Amino acid sequence: MVVRTQQQDFAEFYRSAADECLRTVVVSIGDQDTAQELVDEAFARAWSSWRTVSRHPAPKAWVVRTALNAGISRWRRQRREVSVPDPARAADLPATGGASASQVDPQIMAALMRLPARQREVVALRLILDLDTTRTAEVLGIAPGTVMAHMGRAMAALRLDLQPELQQENRP
Amino acid sequence: MNDNELSTMVRESVAGIRSSTPVDQIISRGHTVRVWRRRVPAAAGALVVAGGAALGVTALAPPGHTPSGKAASRPAVVQLAAWTVAKQANGDIGITIRQLQHPAQLQATLRADGLPAHVSFTGNSGTVCQPRRVSGDIALDIYRFLERNGSDVITIDPSVLPSGVGLNIMGFPSGSSGPVAIGIQTVYASRQCTG
Repeated sequence: MVVRTQQQDFAEFYRSAADECLRTVVVSIGDQDTAQELVDEAFARAWSSWRTVSRHPAPKAWVVRTALNAGISRWRRQRREVSVPDPARAADLPATGGASASQVDPQIMAALMRLPARQREVVALRLILDLDTTRTAEVLGIAPGTVMAHMGRAMAALRLDLQPELQQENRP
Repeated sequence: MNDNELSTMVRESVAGIRSSTPVDQIISRGHTVRVWRRRVPAAAGALVVAGGAALGVTALAPPGHTPSGKAASRPAVVQLAAWTVAKQANGDIGITIRQLQHPAQLQATLRADGLPAHVSFTGNSGTVCQPRRVSGDIALDIYRFLERNGSDVITIDPSVLPSGVGLNIMGFPSGSSGPVAIGIQTVYASRQCTG
C-alpha cells in the first residue's frame, strides 16, 4: 500500500514537472532528443530514490541538475559526438539539433545557443523552471551574485540578438 | 523590449515542447536502478529486465563460427536466443540478455571484443573476482543501460575502462516466468576473473 502511494505521488510529480524539466534541459543543451533521454534518466533516478527526492525542497531542480550531470558524463564518454551544439553553427542552422521547428521558435533557440553554456543554464533555470536566484545558485554550485551577473549578461545579449530580427519582422 | 517581454518570449519559444515518455516507462526504468542497488552492493550500475522465453538459437555469425578470442575474426553481431552482443563502429559493445544461458560463450565473446569480463548467471560470482570501486561518473562513462526498440541494452565503452579494471556481469533469475536481472560490477582485472 505504501509503495502504491509513493508511486502515485511520483506519477503526479512526473506529470506536473516533466514538460518543464524537458524544456529547461532543451534550452540548456539545445538538442531535444538528447534532452529527452537525459530527463528520462533523471526521472528514473528520482523514482529510484523517491523517498529522498520527494523531500527535496525543489525536486524539479534536482531532476534538472541530475539530467545536466548525466549530460556531462555522456559528453565525456562520447567525445566524438558532442551533444552540445556549437553556438556559431546553431546560429546558422535554426531549428536544428533535434528540436523540431514545430516545437520551438528557431530564431530564439538560435539566439539562446549563441550564449555561453553557463548563461544558457541560468536562463533556463530562471525563466523556464522559474527558480529564484538563490535556488539557481544552489543548483549550479555558484554564488547568487554570479547568477545575477550571468542573467544580466544573457538578457542583454538576447535583447541585442533578437531586436533586429523583431524590427525586421515588423517591417512591411 | 523590456525584461518581462523578453522573458515571456523565451518561455513561449519552447512552450510547445512536451515530454513524450509515459510515466510507466520511467517507473519501470527507475525500478531497475532500485533493484540493482539492493542486489549488487559495492558496484555502480543498473538492472536490465527482459521477459519472454525465446526458443532455439539464431546465429548471425557465419556457419561454424565460435568466438575464438580474436577480435578481428568476430562478426559485428553475435546473436543467440539467450543474448546478443553487437560491436558498434565507435568501439562500444551493446549487450542484450534475454535468458540466463550460455554465460561462458557470452564471456568469451566479450573478451574477444577486448573487454576484460567475467560472466556468471548463478547470481554469485564466487570469490574469483574482487570488487573495485570506481566513481559514479567513471562508471557512467564505462557502461549504461539504455532502452532501444523496447529492450534494455547494456552499452559498454571498453576504451574508457581504467587500467586494471574489468567488469563482472552477473545475471539473477528475477521471477519464475522468465524475467532476468543483470548487474554490472567493476572489479580488479585478473587472470582468474577477467581472463
